[in-house]
Amino acid sequence: MELSDGFINYVLIPAAKAFIFINIMAVMAGVLTLFERRILAFMQVRKGPNRVGFEGSLQWIADTIKLMFKEDIVPTKAEKLVHFLAPVLVVVPALTVFCVIPWGPEFTVRLPLLGRITTGGYATDLNVGLLFVLAVTSIGIYGIILGGWASNSKYALLGGLRSAAQLISYEVPMGFAVVSVILMSSSLSLVEIIEAQRRFGMWFIFPGLLAFFLYFLSGVAETNRIPFDLPEAESELVAGFHTEYSGVKWSFFFLGEYANMVTISAIATTLFLGGWLRPFPSVQALSFLDIVPGAAWFLLKISVFMFVYIWFRATFPRYRFDQLMALGWKTLIPLSMGNLVLVAIAALGGRRGLNTLGTILWTLFGVSMILTLRARSSRRSLAARTPIVNAVPGVLEVSR
Amino acid sequence: MNFFENALLLDIFGGLKTTAQHLFFRKSDTVQYPEQAREPSDRFRGMFRLDEERCIKCTLCAIECPINIIFIDWHNEKNELGKNEKMLDRFDVDLKRCMFCGLCEEACPTVPKSIWLRTKTYELGTYERNDDLYLDINKLTTWDDKVRPFTIVEQGE
Repeated sequence: MELSDGFINYVLIPAAKAFIFINIMAVMAGVLTLFERRILAFMQVRKGPNRVGFEGSLQWIADTIKLMFKEDIVPTKAEKLVHFLAPVLVVVPALTVFCVIPWGPEFTVRLPLLGRITTGGYATDLNVGLLFVLAVTSIGIYGIILGGWASNSKYALLGGLRSAAQLISYEVPMGFAVVSVILMSSSLSLVEIIEAQRRFGMWFIFPGLLAFFLYFLSGVAETNRIPFDLPEAESELVAGFHTEYSGVKWSFFFLGEYANMVTISAIATTLFLGGWLRPFPSVQALSFLDIVPGAAWFLLKISVFMFVYIWFRATFPRYRFDQLMALGWKTLIPLSMGNLVLVAIAALGGRRGLNTLGTILWTLFGVSMILTLRARSSRRSLAARTPIVNAVPGVLEVSR
Repeated sequence: MNFFENALLLDIFGGLKTTAQHLFFRKSDTVQYPEQAREPSDRFRGMFRLDEERCIKCTLCAIECPINIIFIDWHNEKNELGKNEKMLDRFDVDLKRCMFCGLCEEACPTVPKSIWLRTKTYELGTYERNDDLYLDINKLTTWDDKVRPFTIVEQGE
């Protein structure tokens, strides 16, 4: 049977790629849970799961199987249909986004039945890819809000509402940060943005360091991760929006959260770290790095971001809700607007302008890094600076 | 200065530095319990132990026991010198009700004590409490053959 070109190019290949990407995504989310637990444990001077398989390497499979076979409990007075739909509404957008994320440049393969095929390392290259990503990831929040509402539980409802407020606050600085990249690349297509970084000869993190920080911070807030995990704050709301969920539905929320983390990391990689490009794509002396395939670079960069997510979780305590709002509206939004102005002015000056801006920002960052690394315990140690006093005055007298 | 520190995010980077140091330079403090265990200190209060040789059958421990779980029976027997000597018929401890208060050890007049709790055995879990946690004289003097020998923590795995 002869397959028509149209069928191959527009049905078969995209379907195959979508299948591969979704499976990569799902497996990544599973493996991530393992990495998260292990790294978190090391940072907290524990061991973490190390029983299943070699050093706990099969723990995530065991967890998945356990979740599959758990009883699925629906509260009696829950809104059954919405309760069922909410987890789906979280997972589907999270996985959908992956069709525009570019894993590698165009490549050619010979397949047994289909012959020579040239295709991109991405399911599709939309010319409004970035808008698509922002739009679709925002849909996932509906799942959280609806799940919180349909559970007919105060905690779940509060979690859902918090999630909505958080998304609205942090989508704005994220949008501004993304716009500053669009100013530099003059394109919304993710593939085109990466190509622009190749032409610029430098990843966009060089002139866009501030935008990068803003984007990633807002990204952490949007994926409801610590220190911004207010919607599921366990010390306040039991488990927040998924309090009343169990079994596979709960694992869908979980999968959605990790998929969103990967998405945020992937977009941050694409926008700021040059996607599949090697470091310093214009320096010829480093061209030996080209033997590493683009997808490997991309995966490596995503892994760095995932590590930072886990690192944040091990380091920072949760924000109070008013602090969260204050950070969003009073700090990040003005900062992102100012950054947009700066980048716009620099972009007017072309390559030289962007390089100047990048140098200034990286100098500040370098100063901050040097101060941090030089800071011994003497700078921060309260015990060394504060004289020891009777903590509760009067206690000693009373006990006498 | 404060604004300068805040603008450069020094506190945030400092926190991240601390956790990174833990990740790379600190070894885990966890003890993998069933395989490894820490040795208890010398004054650790663990399982009972009775020395029949030292015991003078005064029953002070049974009297002192606040919940009366020590049961002692004895009879007189002439020894080779023609004197009366107390012989134990029964020395039972109902361990399943014992609260390890140690009053029996305190009451014991012999030096060194003939009933004592300062052993380092704490793995007392059983499946049959009526059989395994009711100790007669045999079990009281020989249980340490049956418990798992104590393992000292080895560094690493």
